[in-house]
Amino acid sequence: MIAYIIRRLLYTIPIIFGVLLVTFILFNVVSGDVSDQIAGKAASAETIAEIRAEYGWDKPLFLSWDSQFINHLKNSLTFDFGRSWSDREPIIDKIKQGALPSLSLTIPMFIGELIISISLALIVAFFRGTIIDILSVFICVVLMSVPFLSFILFGQYFLAFKWGLFPVYFWPDLPLPQYVALPILIGIVAGLGGNLRFYRTVMLDELRNDYVRTAFAKGLGTGTVLFRHVLKNAMIPIITQVVLAIPFLFLGSLLLERFFGIPGLGYLMIDAIAARDFQIINAMTFIGAILFVVFNLITDICYSIVDPRVSFE
Amino acid sequence: MIKGRSYWADSLRQLRKHTLAMYSLGIIVVYILVVMFIYLANWTKTDVSFLDWNQQVGKEYEKPNKQNILGTDFLGRSVLRKTIYGARVSLTIAFWASIISILIGVPLGAAAGYFRGFIDDIVVWIYTTLSSIPYILLILAFALVLRGKTLNLNSLGLGTISLSGISTVYLAIGLTSWVDICRLIRAEVMKHKQREYILAALSYGCSNSRIIFRHLIPNVFHLIIISFSLRFVGFIQAEVILSFLGLGEKNSPSWGAMIDAARLDLPKGYWWEMTAATAAIFLISLALNIFGDALRDSLDPKLKVQ
Amino acid sequence: MAENNTLLSVRNLSTFFDTEQGPAKAVQNVSFDIKSAETFALVGESGCGKSVTALSIMRLIPHPQGRIVSGKISFKNHNILELTEKRMRTIRGNKIAMIFQEPMTSLNPVFSIGFQIAEAIRLHQRKKSSRAWSMTEEILEKVHIPDAGRRLYEYPHQLSGGMRQRVMIAMAISCKPSLLIADEPTTALDVTIQAQILDLLDELQKSENMSILLITHDLGVVAQRADNVAVMYASKIAEQCSCNELFKNPLHPYTQGLLNSRPQLGTRQNRLNTIAGNVPEPLNFPSGCKFHPRCPIGYNDKRCQTVEPELREVSPNHYAACWYAKK
Repeated sequence: MIAYIIRRLLYTIPIIFGVLLVTFILFNVVSGDVSDQIAGKAASAETIAEIRAEYGWDKPLFLSWDSQFINHLKNSLTFDFGRSWSDREPIIDKIKQGALPSLSLTIPMFIGELIISISLALIVAFFRGTIIDILSVFICVVLMSVPFLSFILFGQYFLAFKWGLFPVYFWPDLPLPQYVALPILIGIVAGLGGNLRFYRTVMLDELRNDYVRTAFAKGLGTGTVLFRHVLKNAMIPIITQVVLAIPFLFLGSLLLERFFGIPGLGYLMIDAIAARDFQIINAMTFIGAILFVVFNLITDICYSIVDPRVSFE
Repeated sequence: MIKGRSYWADSLRQLRKHTLAMYSLGIIVVYILVVMFIYLANWTKTDVSFLDWNQQVGKEYEKPNKQNILGTDFLGRSVLRKTIYGARVSLTIAFWASIISILIGVPLGAAAGYFRGFIDDIVVWIYTTLSSIPYILLILAFALVLRGKTLNLNSLGLGTISLSGISTVYLAIGLTSWVDICRLIRAEVMKHKQREYILAALSYGCSNSRIIFRHLIPNVFHLIIISFSLRFVGFIQAEVILSFLGLGEKNSPSWGAMIDAARLDLPKGYWWEMTAATAAIFLISLALNIFGDALRDSLDPKLKVQ
Repeated sequence: MAENNTLLSVRNLSTFFDTEQGPAKAVQNVSFDIKSAETFALVGESGCGKSVTALSIMRLIPHPQGRIVSGKISFKNHNILELTEKRMRTIRGNKIAMIFQEPMTSLNPVFSIGFQIAEAIRLHQRKKSSRAWSMTEEILEKVHIPDAGRRLYEYPHQLSGGMRQRVMIAMAISCKPSLLIADEPTTALDVTIQAQILDLLDELQKSENMSILLITHDLGVVAQRADNVAVMYASKIAEQCSCNELFKNPLHPYTQGLLNSRPQLGTRQNRLNTIAGNVPEPLNFPSGCKFHPRCPIGYNDKRCQTVEPELREVSPNHYAACWYAKK
């Protein structure tokens, strides 16, 4: 098992290298030197040169020990992302500040979504072929077709603004939990369509297997068959979906944070886009990729726990 | 005597029986026709001023009434016309993005699955890397970076193309969304490569490219179609988000931009522009989802009833 | 026919499946009895309805599409078809057990075999976990799985086909059922293993004093094992008698065709005999006698083409559904 983990870890090296290459090409090659834009319209030539030196755009792209690419690698791997273009604060600090608010939004949303979707999927699978099943599929497709933006806008408008059930926007001096309630709700409802459909398909696929018939032939009740026999098998595809979604929890929800003013990483990114601050986007991209790679490995390890057929040879 | 039915004829027959899917197809066709009409009018320089979205047709913020069925926006322009032009943006972008992602994903996937070895390693490395980056971030990054850049295609004799609004968006989406179709094709090709009919073709001296194009690709074609129809919706929704964030088309209305405008209008009680855009997006998404599902069911050999 | 040692009595069982093109009549008017401690074979080609009959007895027919339309199944003074689902569950796996054709897919891949067997014991006999596991080990020994103590913890994919089928059998007999339904238990196994499994079933039948309903398409399996046989064709019983009678004196042309088509060891044959034509689909049954299009006697006969023959007693305890069946 150790050998397997080591092998997988080794494989992540070319991937991380690849990610750094992609971000480099995007932000240094295609985009490049924007020191004049950072400095602003009325800046002097010295300021511009200072900025250029700070971000390293005065150095050659690839072909020297001090090249931009090498520095890019060095900086990313030490999580030193320099300073943001808009307000010149260290990016790593902004990231640290934004992590907690984002997580307080995405983690409850994620867990709620998971529990609700899987339970509903099992129930719907039980009623397969009946009107309940057909109706739920149709509702899922309808939910999936509504654009996410509309969910947020209408949700915010009706539930908060018009009917006053929830606060509309985040004010820094009040406790956070109140403010994440509505976005969490909206997030769950918006994602329900797609998730429920996926889990339902997984359950139905499992129900088609022969071992289900054997379980019934043994005299087990429907609940036991679904929640013990089918669920454990269904966990295998479900785990992929679930674990790989975890990295995205850190990035927060771009749109939800923007609309509700939650000062998390999503909000940070939206600001960065508006300000064309590539440095921040570069940093977030890299972090996102690292998290993804790590959780990929965790997924594989989880597989082995749930599925005894997976060995490490 | 039972007439032999080809795979495609069988699928078509099953699809036609699905009434809901057929209605959805009708809706999709309507959208396409509207968009084609606009392009045709532009191309033939026909006068379509009755559809001019930039024209002020009434007072600002008029509620929906007999004259302007969907009301007007903050400049008094017809929301109905803006919605129609929005369709042009969305469908064009989704279309080109699909083409680009298929043109990249299918050949790479087929090559990787067929030749294995070094080519496979490279392709897998590329798409694993790309898929490690969160999708939204990747699209945003591409869109941001590609704005205002010019593509120098002089060497291909195509001159220089200046990237703007629409082309930025579909390039960004297309260049980042080919991973799934690539994986799919690669897996299928690997499976098919082991089958006897490929061995047979090789044994009578078929060249590699002939095998790929004449034997393998037709057998995975149904996957391409399914992927195309199912991802189209995603592309439309991606474009909406990009437009909303200000990275999309600026010179012509788009649904995302309309929703963006609605953000501030809604609290003031002006709900019609937002509703129109939402309804337009919802309708085409629903139709594509239903049709795409029915298409996949009819083309999936595993689901064929004996 | 209510003798004292009749264990299971099936009367006029009909099971249909609803399809787009109308109901598929998979089983029509099937009747037979199984006595205690006997092996009863239900023989027929694929699609004749034998598996559906077995699933109907267990009431495991998938319910939106399939339904038991009519009939009566008496088991120990109860009509199975009228029991509540809750009562039925006390019978499944407990008094009547079933094993299936594909042992690999019929076992749950993510649970150990010990767990799966013990589950049945815990359910029906309400034994505690530890007791159930030790009983499981004993049962595994009964089905001749070597090194049972270690094997308990293994998973289905770690065993061979023959052993998996033994595990299925172990699971089925764990609660000492009176009737074991074996649906093509050896079809998916190698020939040498087939004999072993059939021997095991024989042995268990005597030691556990249970009846076996053996479902198969293979006459070779029937020959040495069954006491009584019913031959099914296109949803109905074509012939029913004791095993010896069937091989000595087949009355129905279908049975005769089946027996004829077996390769004869020791003689030279240029071609194997076959029964011309194909088994009809449940949505497309021929009129009259369902076998008539393929029957050497009936294909030209007016009566066979239009009127369906009833199952009648042609000689003592020997039933055949054919107009021309004679002693």
